[in-house]
Amino acid sequence: MGNQRAYLWCIGPALILMFLILLLPIFIAAGMSFTNYSLGNTSADFVGLENYEQIFTRSTYAKMFGATFRYVFLVVPMTVGLGLGAALLINSLTRFGEVYKTIYFLPVMSALIAMAIVWEFAFHPTIGIINATLERGCGTFLEGWTWYAKGCARTFPLWLTDRDYAIWTVSFIGIWQGFGFNMVLYLAGLTGIPRDLYHAAEMDGTQSAWDRFCLVTWPMLGPTTVFVVTISFIRSFQVFDTVEAFYPQGGGPSKSVYVMMFAIYEKAIQQNLMGIGAAITMVFLGFVMILTLIQRWLVERRTHYA
Amino acid sequence: MLNGFSTRETVKHAVLILGAIIVLLPFYVMLTYSFKSPHEIMTNTGGIFGAQELFRDDYCIKRGNPVDACMVTPFIYNYVTAFSKAPLLRYLMNGLIVTGSIFVIQVVVALPCAYALAKLRFWGREAVFGLVLFCLLIPVHAIALPLYIMLAKLGLTNSYAALVIPWTISVFGIFLMRQFFMTVPDDLIDAARMDGMSEYSIIWNVMLPTAIPALMAFAIFSVVAHWNDYFWPRIVITGNRDLFTPPLGLREFKGDADGDNFGPMMASAVVIVMPLIVAFMLAQRRFIEGITLSGMK
Repeated sequence: MGNQRAYLWCIGPALILMFLILLLPIFIAAGMSFTNYSLGNTSADFVGLENYEQIFTRSTYAKMFGATFRYVFLVVPMTVGLGLGAALLINSLTRFGEVYKTIYFLPVMSALIAMAIVWEFAFHPTIGIINATLERGCGTFLEGWTWYAKGCARTFPLWLTDRDYAIWTVSFIGIWQGFGFNMVLYLAGLTGIPRDLYHAAEMDGTQSAWDRFCLVTWPMLGPTTVFVVTISFIRSFQVFDTVEAFYPQGGGPSKSVYVMMFAIYEKAIQQNLMGIGAAITMVFLGFVMILTLIQRWLVERRTHYA
Repeated sequence: MLNGFSTRETVKHAVLILGAIIVLLPFYVMLTYSFKSPHEIMTNTGGIFGAQELFRDDYCIKRGNPVDACMVTPFIYNYVTAFSKAPLLRYLMNGLIVTGSIFVIQVVVALPCAYALAKLRFWGREAVFGLVLFCLLIPVHAIALPLYIMLAKLGLTNSYAALVIPWTISVFGIFLMRQFFMTVPDDLIDAARMDGMSEYSIIWNVMLPTAIPALMAFAIFSVVAHWNDYFWPRIVITGNRDLFTPPLGLREFKGDADGDNFGPMMASAVVIVMPLIVAFMLAQRRFIEGITLSGMK
């Protein structure tokens, strides 16, 4: 059977790199999170749980969790919902489905940092296309909407610098960027549903499209949904590009967009507080682990009846 | 359902078209601003392509040139400035070098490992595969901080190595290739062994060619992710413009943008985003396959 030791050469490099690049850093971060280490210092003091205590007591970090969860819980349901909606609509079209699919997928592969800069222009209070378009609607029936009338009377919102709007605007961009990805996964899931099931449902007396959806489509998309939701969570937890592009310092108006990845960057890289940065990293990894465990559990539970 | 022009079908198209307008809005803004003069951008005039009226380039005049020589067409001005004010070509080259080397190293590391996991019998194989599955859970961006410290200790920050090293191991690539190799019949490998081929040449001369479709999808997955990546380069490249990748270059451009530079900045955004979009248009199916590869888990 050839060279018996060949496998060592095959898996060796991969194993070493896996250990050095993926596993060792977790141990380093774990160790560092109990110290007040900064780069350039020769030594660091052991501070016990102080970093974690700060994360869970200080108001800055309360804002960090607030912003992260607000972002994640806006973006995940919206990208999943819109992704599913778009997939169902496109799938039911007799023609031009491909065109929409292409268009909706464009944001997924465009550099988010570039598109963030473009959005910043679009949302610009004076020269931006969005407020300019809104102003054009003034004096029409739209003024019946109090929010709109207020915008016309004074000015339309400073989308990115008003703390009441900032997190919504940043989330909107996250949704804009991410739903096409979920749409494609759902489209793949839809092609996997056997036609016979719909015929069978019809025989059983299912009439409306909604019934068909509840009875066949949605249950059959279960595994896809579990995957789509998990990957959407993990992706949106990692949001950074838009936040850094709009607010290079400080995380937005009143820290309302101070998401975790930006907090790690600010504390550790900008301020050289490695200990606290490492502690946030560990909390972050904890979230990712919990999400993945929930996913595994759901997948395993599902196999019993799917 | 049979009638292509039913009201129901029309409503669906209306909804999808509305969505398409919102999705395309920033692309429209990006393109149209890259054609316009500063005045047109400031006043929101000029339609889609701008009037393309000549305007005075103030930098040019400051350099002591006569006014006549400093009248420029907005479209040409924007794109020329994008390439001359910042070393945009250099950034694009860096992007190519970094994404290219990442992909090549990922394949060189992952392919043999995937082959061993799929086709060789050895003690501990299940454990190694279990480790691969575990590592799939670790988002590399999340452990950026300890990785940065390790690289800093080795004196490697601000180098191509720093941009490439964390991505050299793709557990996802290993997993994907292993799943693919499982479907390759053992007879093929046995025949190759009979012919006296070494394991090394089996990997590169027998297995690699069979894996081309999977590798293509993986290439797209890898290149798109690293061409667009902003977080990691932002951390390890500080100040040294020669090493900037396209996203970093664009960010720098934004940092010192004033009124006159909006057009050129949008032009650079177009230059950075377009290569992938054009490639996507040419090979749509493969792209969608590649980017949603992670859906195969």
